[in-house]
Amino acid sequence: MEPLNDRELDELLKQWPAPLAPETLAKRIGRRQRGPWWRWLLTGSIRVPVPLALALGGALMLLFIGVRGPAKNFARQSPPSVFQPVKRLEPRIIRSSYEANH
Amino acid sequence: MTDGEFEAIFEEHRQAVYQFAWRMTNSSSSAEDIAQDVFLALFRGDAEPDRSRGSMRALLLGIARHMAWKRWRLDQRWSSLEEEPLPSVSPLVEHLGTEQAVSAAVAALPPLQRETLILATYQGFSLQEIAETLGVEVGTVKARLHRARENLKRLLAPHRPGSMRSVTEYGTAK
Repeated sequence: MEPLNDRELDELLKQWPAPLAPETLAKRIGRRQRGPWWRWLLTGSIRVPVPLALALGGALMLLFIGVRGPAKNFARQSPPSVFQPVKRLEPRIIRSSYEANH
Repeated sequence: MTDGEFEAIFEEHRQAVYQFAWRMTNSSSSAEDIAQDVFLALFRGDAEPDRSRGSMRALLLGIARHMAWKRWRLDQRWSSLEEEPLPSVSPLVEHLGTEQAVSAAVAALPPLQRETLILATYQGFSLQEIAETLGVEVGTVKARLHRARENLKRLLAPHRPGSMRSVTEYGTAK
């Protein structure tokens, strides 16, 4: 079959109308746009510039090292010799009244 | 972007975005989903208007196209996105009404040809605007559009219009 020419093709292409956007689209956009504020806590995102992200990461790392540091020093400065054995052991024995009477 | 600016953009471009998505997907529900995602991406600031990349409509349709492709990839509807294999003439096209036949023939086009044809014919984009929207050279757009039209001329031959009265230059990208 002989192919169409340009005019015939354009004529045919005009006969494929698209439907209008449904009203539900506007409702869906509006609902998502004005969602509850707390939704942002679950789905939101923020943009952070790379230098700021690096600075924050560095600060967090320093904070982490700072928190962990004293614990290490304490361990180093507290050798087992600090702990002295108990010189006199006097355990107190407590008996129940039932045991005392029988 | 303020709520007012967003609403103005939505009102101005929602038909174009929806109809482009509808023609790309042949599905009302998919088109609505894509249109919603396009405008929400704009509202959230995921897609900053870039004046150097053309008009707002070109930006929105570029996002819509990207989202349509993402859906297709997820659906694995295409084994190949390249445009080399020519669509075969479906005998069904012969027995369809004209509107359904055009729809089926455009849907049968390889995707790169299809999106180019839709932007040129139904969105009225110039070759330059299509090139900006698709991120390709103008020469590539010309070649894809030419191949798309040649394929359609062959596919739709059984639906040759009976009379050619007052045909305008509708939809031809200049």
